[in-house]
Amino acid sequence: MTKETYILLRDFCEGHCLDEKFVYELQEVELVRIEKVGEAPAIPPDELQVLERMVRLHRDLDIGPQGLRAVQQLLDRMDHLQQEILELRRKVRRYE
Amino acid sequence: MEFIDYYKVLGVDKKASESEIKKAYRKLARKYHPDLNPDDAGSEIKFKQINEAHEVLSDREKRKKYDKYGKDWQHAEEFEKARKARGSRGGPESGEPFGGYTYSGGDQHDFSDFFESMFGGFRGEGQSTGRGFRGADLRAGLELDLRDVYETHKRTLTVGGKNIRITIPAGIEDGQTIRIRGYGGQGRNGGPDGDLYITFALRNSTPFRREGPNLYRTVEIPLTTAVLGGTITVETFDGKAKMKVRPLTQNDTRVKLKGKGFPVYKKEGRFGDLVLTYQVTLPEKLTDQQRQLFEELKKTNL
Repeated sequence: MTKETYILLRDFCEGHCLDEKFVYELQEVELVRIEKVGEAPAIPPDELQVLERMVRLHRDLDIGPQGLRAVQQLLDRMDHLQQEILELRRKVRRYE
Repeated sequence: MEFIDYYKVLGVDKKASESEIKKAYRKLARKYHPDLNPDDAGSEIKFKQINEAHEVLSDREKRKKYDKYGKDWQHAEEFEKARKARGSRGGPESGEPFGGYTYSGGDQHDFSDFFESMFGGFRGEGQSTGRGFRGADLRAGLELDLRDVYETHKRTLTVGGKNIRITIPAGIEDGQTIRIRGYGGQGRNGGPDGDLYITFALRNSTPFRREGPNLYRTVEIPLTTAVLGGTITVETFDGKAKMKVRPLTQNDTRVKLKGKGFPVYKKEGRFGDLVLTYQVTLPEKLTDQQRQLFEELKKTNL
């Protein structure tokens, strides 16, 4: 079994100088999952990538939770379209 | 080290007000933010430049200092004196060609050597820099020949100065990206390490066209074989196959050789198909005898 590193929500928010309320708001719009480690709320390791991306976007571009939800949705869509382009490109190559 | 024109980076006038600088920064940051431009290394560099320009021009003290030294940059003696008086922060100093933005670090928010020399290593308040937990994700490209990915094999790559031995599964696609967990930047403050993403570019110098696990190839067959039928030998991806050609085979007839295609990704032992398209070769020259025989055929209304 591999060891999973959970980051306590309190530590995460302290480290990022964030209000815990912001992360709960992100949870409300289904951008992040918060779990309990014992009694303490914590961030599962596989959630960190998206969460830290959201924190960066929030800081750098002043985007709120609802806006971040929309951004993530568009990024997912972009990723999906990118995959589709790749597949079509491979198909086209068959006829070149 | 080359002088960096921060006003030019943000596209603002030297007399720009604080709000004009902020507005210009926000506009460019939205355009080039690395999280909104994944897979685009150019955007990341541009974003660093914008961030740095904003860091200097939005801070009254830094802007004042920058304007003062910036004016006389061509001589730069005063700047050099100031830098020496402050003491070197390490890293290569002399003999470097002028390169504009050169970075010593690898963080998304790190600053150029020009910035570090002028302002030292401290960062402004409100930056998320250095406070994160998860290590940065790294991206690398690997160009391989189509033949290289016909079989699963191991390869040693050097990424970020580290040697990594990875397994490349047979059947990987051109443009496909694989994630290698934990091989990115080091985690901070007890956080996990980032991941390494490798995107494959496959060169194909074979006569086969590939689509997923299926291979396609056009095979020329002589006119007489197409009309009368016969046997031909065709090259498959990893060998040869004898094929029976039925009499009166038409041009562009497609024949499928099951299991003679490319390995199916991550399905060991499973292969796609090889699809052959017959192209009937018409003669370009005829002997007298052949011409005579064709004349005879013509008389039969063929």
